Amino acid sequence: MAGFQIYGAGRAGDGTQTNIQILGQALKDQGAWTFMWSNEIYSNIQTRDTGFALRASDTPIFGPDDEFDIMEAFDAGAYSDEANEGRIPPITKIKTGGVFLYDSSVRLDYPNTGHEVHIERLAEIIAAKKLRVFGIPMGEMNKAAGAVHVVRGTIAVGAIAQMAGIDKDAILKRYAEAFGAGSNVYEINLKALESGIEFAKNEGWDLPDLKLKLTPIANDGRQIMNGDEAAAAGAIVAGCRVYAGYPITPASEVLEYMAENINRFGGAMIQADSEMAAAHHVIGAAISGARSMTATSGPGFDLMQEAISAAGITETPMVIVLCTRGGPATGLPTRQGQEELNEAIFGSHGDFARIVLAASEPEDCFYVMEHIFNLAERYQCPTFLIIDQMLAQSSYTVPGLDPSGFVVDRGKLLSPEQFAERYNGNGKTFKRYELTDDGISYRAFPGTPGVTNYYNNTNEHTEDGYLSEEEAVRQQQMDKRFFQRMDLIRAEPQLPQPRYYGDSGAKIGFISYGGTYGPIREAVERLGEAGTKAKFMELRTMWPLNAAQVKAFTDSCDVVYVPEYSAGAQLRGLIQREVTGPSPKLKSLLRYDGRNMTPGWITSRVEEAKVGS
Amino acid sequence: MAASDISITPIKRADITGESAWWCVGCGDFGVNSAVQQVIMSLVNESNVPLENMFALSGIGCSSKEPDMLRVNAYQGQHGRSLPVAIGVAIGNPSLKVLDFGGDGDTYAIGMEHFMHSIIRNVNITLIIMNNQVYGLTKGQASPTAHGGLTTISTPEGKKGRPVNPLRLAIAGGAAFVARGVSWQRNELVDIIHQAVNTNGFSLVDVFSPCVTYHREPGIRGSGPIFDWYRENYVLDIKDAWDGMRNQVFTDKERAQLPAEYDPTSPEAALNGLRLISEAAKIGREVTGILLKDDSQPTMAENLGVSADRPPALADVSVESNLAGYRDLLASMR
Repeated sequence: MAGFQIYGAGRAGDGTQTNIQILGQALKDQGAWTFMWSNEIYSNIQTRDTGFALRASDTPIFGPDDEFDIMEAFDAGAYSDEANEGRIPPITKIKTGGVFLYDSSVRLDYPNTGHEVHIERLAEIIAAKKLRVFGIPMGEMNKAAGAVHVVRGTIAVGAIAQMAGIDKDAILKRYAEAFGAGSNVYEINLKALESGIEFAKNEGWDLPDLKLKLTPIANDGRQIMNGDEAAAAGAIVAGCRVYAGYPITPASEVLEYMAENINRFGGAMIQADSEMAAAHHVIGAAISGARSMTATSGPGFDLMQEAISAAGITETPMVIVLCTRGGPATGLPTRQGQEELNEAIFGSHGDFARIVLAASEPEDCFYVMEHIFNLAERYQCPTFLIIDQMLAQSSYTVPGLDPSGFVVDRGKLLSPEQFAERYNGNGKTFKRYELTDDGISYRAFPGTPGVTNYYNNTNEHTEDGYLSEEEAVRQQQMDKRFFQRMDLIRAEPQLPQPRYYGDSGAKIGFISYGGTYGPIREAVERLGEAGTKAKFMELRTMWPLNAAQVKAFTDSCDVVYVPEYSAGAQLRGLIQREVTGPSPKLKSLLRYDGRNMTPGWITSRVEEAKVGS
Repeated sequence: MAASDISITPIKRADITGESAWWCVGCGDFGVNSAVQQVIMSLVNESNVPLENMFALSGIGCSSKEPDMLRVNAYQGQHGRSLPVAIGVAIGNPSLKVLDFGGDGDTYAIGMEHFMHSIIRNVNITLIIMNNQVYGLTKGQASPTAHGGLTTISTPEGKKGRPVNPLRLAIAGGAAFVARGVSWQRNELVDIIHQAVNTNGFSLVDVFSPCVTYHREPGIRGSGPIFDWYRENYVLDIKDAWDGMRNQVFTDKERAQLPAEYDPTSPEAALNGLRLISEAAKIGREVTGILLKDDSQPTMAENLGVSADRPPALADVSVESNLAGYRDLLASMR
């Protein structure tokens, strides 16, 4: 695997993110696999330090690497904790021998004014890390060319392209897409890009070690997307036609995608008044016969617990994409966390069937939506997909997605023809909560001729939906709705199966789920390369947890690391509760500072443990 | 299925009568239920609305047992949450006639968020509130509509602070239809609900439906007398308010422009209604009748680009039918 990682350190509103994204898109078009993420985005709208990062590789990647090869420093935020608030400056994450490319202008414009880079203050770290330093007076060049401040990043992209041998036309194509070929903004960026290229050329700068041997892809459909967009697209292909949601980070991109796209397929996007409302819209739409869903994060998921309980007893297919972030309460709204596993599995009062799945990268997010909707309708229960902030909001290069294989299975939802065939003229009466042999009752579309008593009830109810507190009724409905249903779900072959990586004979194991997938896979590979055999079980169905599979894996290991973004070790707790009981074999690797795991973060902890034992 | 293919079999009250509710003898809600059934029969038998297109919802409270009194497609939900479910039903399939039943606690306390936003969104549903000033199901606490001074188990020294006035909120929020009925005048109530259902947009029918068990006025006990208390001390028909209060409410200049009778469809109805509600409140009276009818505003479904002819619930979701569109969708990412 060859590749490099770039960090753009600037200030919110100075264009850092846009230019890095364009560079990433151009690299993708050239055949690279990319991963782009907001490394330092604060949950505010002030012009404070921000960092956007790009990793590019000649093989698929699913997360960040440990250190950066190149840092673009658009102001002093790259190296100083100016506000003295305990922020770790990004320059500490640049690797030995790395590249420090900075704006050497004497005076910067808003929003970077007053944060100019003083390179002389960096002598110590430059020497210690043997950094290769390249100063370009980007701000001044821009001013001379009559361009606005936010175009500085384009000069940096030009310089990097020249030094790392990235095709200029591929970059220009993406600027043309973003701003319109020939537009004023495009022309300004074109000039800036060329000035960056020229500057680096005139200085004779070159980075031979960062040149990737890439084969430009023909048109294999490879795209850049984040987990939210992939899940939203998958939902539409799976037949979702009512989306209801309330804006919340890191789930808003699902709502925005639906706002743009669902109506052309005959659907509606309801921007609800709250998550409480949104979840109930989903119930209503599902009862009307539409495939419907919402997406949210912790605080919104809290508000949805009431509706989830209602979906449980009314046996309504309710789909929720749960984009987790650091909690509790408002917590770390824009940062990584997996603190909602317990709530997804055990939240809401009352006992009822539910299904909780997890996805690990955008391609997975897309294809799993087929199963989410089919499972929700087949088992008429709340069904969730957990994706974490890194997966939800980071941009991955994803292979071409193919919608043609999706199968829409609506379970026991009767079409008008099926309803007529089943009930007309034979004395049989439709009962919403009929006790059937397989334990699943029929649903129908209100408005279907003959459907005049489709009674959904959050009170305990009889077979035909009327309120009842009789012992026998309660027992029957509870047995059907909970025990019988969970047995069926456990036996369901379409529950996403775990995926295994690494050396199957290894005695060191990892179990995890979600966006930890990329870093753990790479950690396992690196451990292997260093002579430590390891393997990884990626869980994809979190509930019901397949105890036999997990037990087989843990039994085969001497030690099982459980990396997760939760101080409370929620995944380890789940495995202990469902599979192993209290077990010294399970060792948590907990990250709860809101930052992403990297392969080295994992391997160093494994190596430390080996030394310690 | 085309409308001409549907053959409507006349229905009788028994056809749409459910398994009954836990209401006290003499409860006002019986009157509301009777009127509702009358309206459903009329819609099906006279207006050719297929019974399968009726959808009733409710939350929690005595009033929310209404779907148990009926036999129609329904959802009985949790406290305060029937309206957002109703929105989901009405957007999922705009051809359905959606009736939402609630109480004054259910809708004007715990469900207030949904009440206001349903009005503002102008979702095409009819909300029927059985307003009795108390929480009956939890044994008699004061509700948001309890009048000042009302003594209940939660207001032992009499209700302090202002009551919610749902009519005022509905008019201010821009509802398409705003009315108040009383449970003891069935024919008028039938007419009001009928007009509400036939109004395109959000319709509020707040109904005084006295609680014979927990609503206690000084010196009044039992079923009959509480109804008398409402009639004699509390309600004021909008027509009477129009005739009796125009001198206080309107200036000479305004009066010269006013029609002889209160007209809920006039462009001034919203403002006139609000002024009469306020004037009546000064003498401790609550206005009844149809205050506002204006279905000129686009509904929520129209704003979302869905309709009875294009219901999301009945969209063809097969992959084969949509494959070209799906491929376009996926090609347009980044």
